[in-house]
Amino acid sequence: MAGNIYIGEIIANEEIQEDCFLMKVRTHSSFENPLPGQFVMVRIAGLNDPFLSRPISVYAFTREANFCTIELLYRVVGKGTQVMAGLIEGSYLEINGPLGNGFETENVKENIVLISGGIGIAPLSMLMENIGQTARQASAVTMMYTGFQNKAAVVGLDKMRGICRDVNVCTDDGTLGSKGFVTQIFEKDMKNFTPENTSIYVCGPREMLKALAKILNKSKFDCQVSLEERMACGTGACMGCAVAVKDKEGAFAYKRVCADGPVFNLSDIIWD
Amino acid sequence: MTKTKTTQSPKMAVSLGRLKLNNPVMTASGTFGYGEEYAGYVDLNKLGAIVVKGLSLKPRLGNPPPRIMETTGGMLNAVGLQNIGVDAFIEEKIPFLRQYDTKVIANIYGETYDEYKKVARKLSSVKGIHALEVNISCPNVKNGGLSFGSDPKIAARMTRAVKDETSLPVIVKLTPNVTDIAAIAEAVEKAGADAISLINTLTGMSVDLKTRRPHLKNITGGLSGPAIKPVALRMVWQVVQRVSIPVIGIGGIMTAEDALEFLVLGAKAVQIGTANFINPLVTMEVVEGMKNYLAEQKIKDINEIICTFQP
Repeated sequence: MAGNIYIGEIIANEEIQEDCFLMKVRTHSSFENPLPGQFVMVRIAGLNDPFLSRPISVYAFTREANFCTIELLYRVVGKGTQVMAGLIEGSYLEINGPLGNGFETENVKENIVLISGGIGIAPLSMLMENIGQTARQASAVTMMYTGFQNKAAVVGLDKMRGICRDVNVCTDDGTLGSKGFVTQIFEKDMKNFTPENTSIYVCGPREMLKALAKILNKSKFDCQVSLEERMACGTGACMGCAVAVKDKEGAFAYKRVCADGPVFNLSDIIWD
Repeated sequence: MTKTKTTQSPKMAVSLGRLKLNNPVMTASGTFGYGEEYAGYVDLNKLGAIVVKGLSLKPRLGNPPPRIMETTGGMLNAVGLQNIGVDAFIEEKIPFLRQYDTKVIANIYGETYDEYKKVARKLSSVKGIHALEVNISCPNVKNGGLSFGSDPKIAARMTRAVKDETSLPVIVKLTPNVTDIAAIAEAVEKAGADAISLINTLTGMSVDLKTRRPHLKNITGGLSGPAIKPVALRMVWQVVQRVSIPVIGIGGIMTAEDALEFLVLGAKAVQIGTANFINPLVTMEVVEGMKNYLAEQKIKDINEIICTFQP
């Protein structure tokens, strides 16, 4: 983790779906390349309401000669994201990042399975952009399962279709793709994958992760999940973003989503 | 070319009794980890002191999540003093902190007098620790801190218990969740405290209207952030009038101006807490901001503004 504080200029902040925005922020070239799964803490300098910075995972990152551009895909869910949504081009943000530990991509297996719920598609999109090229060359299977509440909530799909060989879309109400939860769609296909040659990467709401943990229970799949939690600092100091996990010795422990994660092994997470 | 000003940088060193600080800016316990979490952002040498996360005799798991909630101008927390324990701190964290030319203050916590005494004893002989801050005020742990800090007799007894175990300066950190904070301050002064720090968080709550349940799993939590600064100032003011040992002001400091308000009232130093979370550079900005203020006011030494309040 090597975060630092940067000033970013908003060069675009577009509502690409109802209540879902794509923000592009230009910042100094010394900003470190974020790994897929890492996040930034975002705040408006000097503003004390909303008081805390907001953790947003990096959706895409590009580097030019003299600057970097960070793309953030976010849904308006509360006060912080509401204020973000109101920012216009040319306004400035304070960005602390990149933070946390990204997905482990050293030992990607032959088959890549991605499972996302809602806005959870964002870090997986960045992950596929980074590892997809080599994976495609190796003619591996890259299978995306992505679920949304309904058609109006679908985001990031076109880009994902460009970088992932197979994209299975589902919606809770069937207004786009198959009807059902993404975990159910994946469960039907599960027999096509073996733990020995499949890496699973996941990001989505807690209930979805919990359902997936049940499905994968006792299987030997290597499954990394990116968690979301309310945070104050994002740097490991406040201990606010605790998640219950089994530690190395198998004992119960609270880990920090920000500094110990946000990516964890699904099998380590303890669901109440 | 304009003539360069030859004004000297104002003197920033302050003394809290035996404890000498390069400047009055300290970090508040629980908001700065064990220092290393912020070493990438802040030059730790430029801090007056680092007060590390509260240490207990044994490692503590802390409270179940959710542990924090944003509020207007602040936040609630019910972390429950999650920490690695005093032994792991001495073994794993102190060697890192020793590299820096800054004072290290160990904040200690226990559930019984005996636990406090044991933690104090373990830390007293460790090279690289310059003072102890006794948390008798954390409101989060049931049967714990609150009772020690809310009664003058118990607070005094705790102060003596820790003083008996150590030759290090002992700072007692007070809770604001009491009727008469100055009475507690007087009691711990009489019991031998070398300094007093205040305030810890104010107990608060927040309700989720979707579920009609508390936002925090612990139901109540400690309120911190700029929302509590006026309360902290009032309490520091009450305390400085009643004790003669040094007072450290804590509560909602976000800027150099906030910190200076505490000094004018009579605090010898300040601690910056929650502000570190939203601006990891805040301590450096406060030190610089204080220097600028002093230069503008043509004050050569920070001590000249301490306790200059004119009611």
